[in-house]
Amino acid sequence: MELFSDQFNGYLWQMAQGAYVTLQLFAAGFSLALVIGVLVGIITLSKNIVIQAFWKVYSSIIMGVPSLLIIFLLYYGGSAMLSGIFGTDRSFDVTPFGAGVAALTIVYACYIAELVHGAVMNLPKGQFEACSALAIRPIAAWRHVILPQLTRLALPGLINIWMIVLKDTPLVSLAGLNDLVANAKIAAGATKEPFIFFIAASLFFIAFSALTLRLSARLETRFNRGIAEVKA
Amino acid sequence: MSALQTSDLTAVAAPRPVAVQMTKVDKYYGKFKALSGIDLTVRKGEKIVICGPSGSGKSTLIRTINRLEPHDGGTIVVNGITLDGSPTSVQDVRLECGMVFQQFNLFPHLTILENCMLAPRLTRKLSKEQAEAVATKYLERVHIGAQAHKFPSQLSGGQQQRVAIARALCMEPPIMLFDEPTSALDPEMIKEVLQVMEDLAEDGMTMICVTHEMGFARRVANRVVFMDQGEIVEEAGTDAFFETPKSDRLKNFLAQILH
Ligand SMILES: Nc1ncnc2c1ncn2[C@@H]1O[C@H](COP(=O)(O)OP(=O)(O)OP(=O)(O)O)[C@@H](O)[C@H]1O
Ligand SMILES: [Mg+2]
Repeated sequence: MELFSDQFNGYLWQMAQGAYVTLQLFAAGFSLALVIGVLVGIITLSKNIVIQAFWKVYSSIIMGVPSLLIIFLLYYGGSAMLSGIFGTDRSFDVTPFGAGVAALTIVYACYIAELVHGAVMNLPKGQFEACSALAIRPIAAWRHVILPQLTRLALPGLINIWMIVLKDTPLVSLAGLNDLVANAKIAAGATKEPFIFFIAASLFFIAFSALTLRLSARLETRFNRGIAEVKA
Repeated sequence: MSALQTSDLTAVAAPRPVAVQMTKVDKYYGKFKALSGIDLTVRKGEKIVICGPSGSGKSTLIRTINRLEPHDGGTIVVNGITLDGSPTSVQDVRLECGMVFQQFNLFPHLTILENCMLAPRLTRKLSKEQAEAVATKYLERVHIGAQAHKFPSQLSGGQQQRVAIARALCMEPPIMLFDEPTSALDPEMIKEVLQVMEDLAEDGMTMICVTHEMGFARRVANRVVFMDQGEIVEEAGTDAFFETPKSDRLKNFLAQILH
């Protein structure tokens, strides 16, 4: 097949659209997982035994099952589940995109919650005590003292999860989502040019990783404010 | 006799008002009894030193006063507020008490100035300018105004502890609690921190200090309390405490600590 023929350009355009879908899926999945993961992480710090027991069982199930199965479960079983919850008289359309966002959120919120737990354990107890002694109320203490330090402690782990979520997005193509990898596969099959299209898709992921590393380096400098000087 | 005369007489005779009143206070960690039957009265302007062997419950006692540890029996009243565990009582009592810890516990991600401004802004609802003025005033008082824009990690231990004292003072509490403020410091830095505490004592602050610095106790304390195994074993005016200890446990302790 000729490079930059109309047909070729058509497939490239399709891949660009697929890349846009991948980015949307990633952005929605990661940001929801981050918000819910941090909230759940804070709530499950509670010493309440019911919360503890529930969290132990729930998180080991979610983290023990392959993400792909959760995507399938939500895609093929999603409308039955929603009807079960909201009543059978209404029908629910579950799109591959919706199921994908939900699955990524559910799975990675768990990992992020665990990350929050680890970071809180690593925070000296004296930080909480100093806030209490200064009569700073819990919500303000979390916002101004605890979370900024947790962010620093959890940042390397968060960057890891960020990369893993990105690399998990193609799984949703197996539920029929036309993301970057799905469209690369279509183009490769139709043109019998696997290298061009699969390498193009890989370049997208590599470029995204490179951007991520630059972003994380910036964030690290920012959150190490006050701590970096010790090493200098 | 007129009412005026009576009140004059009582004014002369009445001791200073009570700042902290602990009555029959018990505290358990699980089944372990860390405090038993603690009775302690601290009056406004008094300086109390608490000493005793490691594990005797000194930290636990001082931490029940601002409810970093809840007590399990007895009553604690701080400047008229009974610590009954309700959120308002806890908050009100914490506004009455500043606390300084052995490990400083400064906020590492904030500058010295920001460390001192945070609580006044959040809790006393001061404006940025007001909080900065208060912070600057107390940082200068502990002789560390020049370091205001550094981070805690850039200061020596003694400097960090002086910042921690300033941070507590910024809430302008009438009572200050100190839990071994010099125990984590190198010897050459202990003096600068004790000096700041002595200045504070001279200004009439009510102070309760857990410390092993017996020189400081002799110079500053009105009364010294000796604890062992969760109990107050002996309590006396400073001179009597060191010159004529009564119990064998205190005699042994003093013999060890004063060599
Ligand atoms: N959070 C806790 N859980 C269980 N036991 C505790 C806890 N905190 C303190 N204890 C125990 O209570 C006792 C009193 O401890 P506390 O810290 O009040 O002693 P201390 O007099 O301050 O000792 P030190 O001089 O070593 O600081 C000790 O036996 C200690 O092991
Ligand atoms: Mg102690």
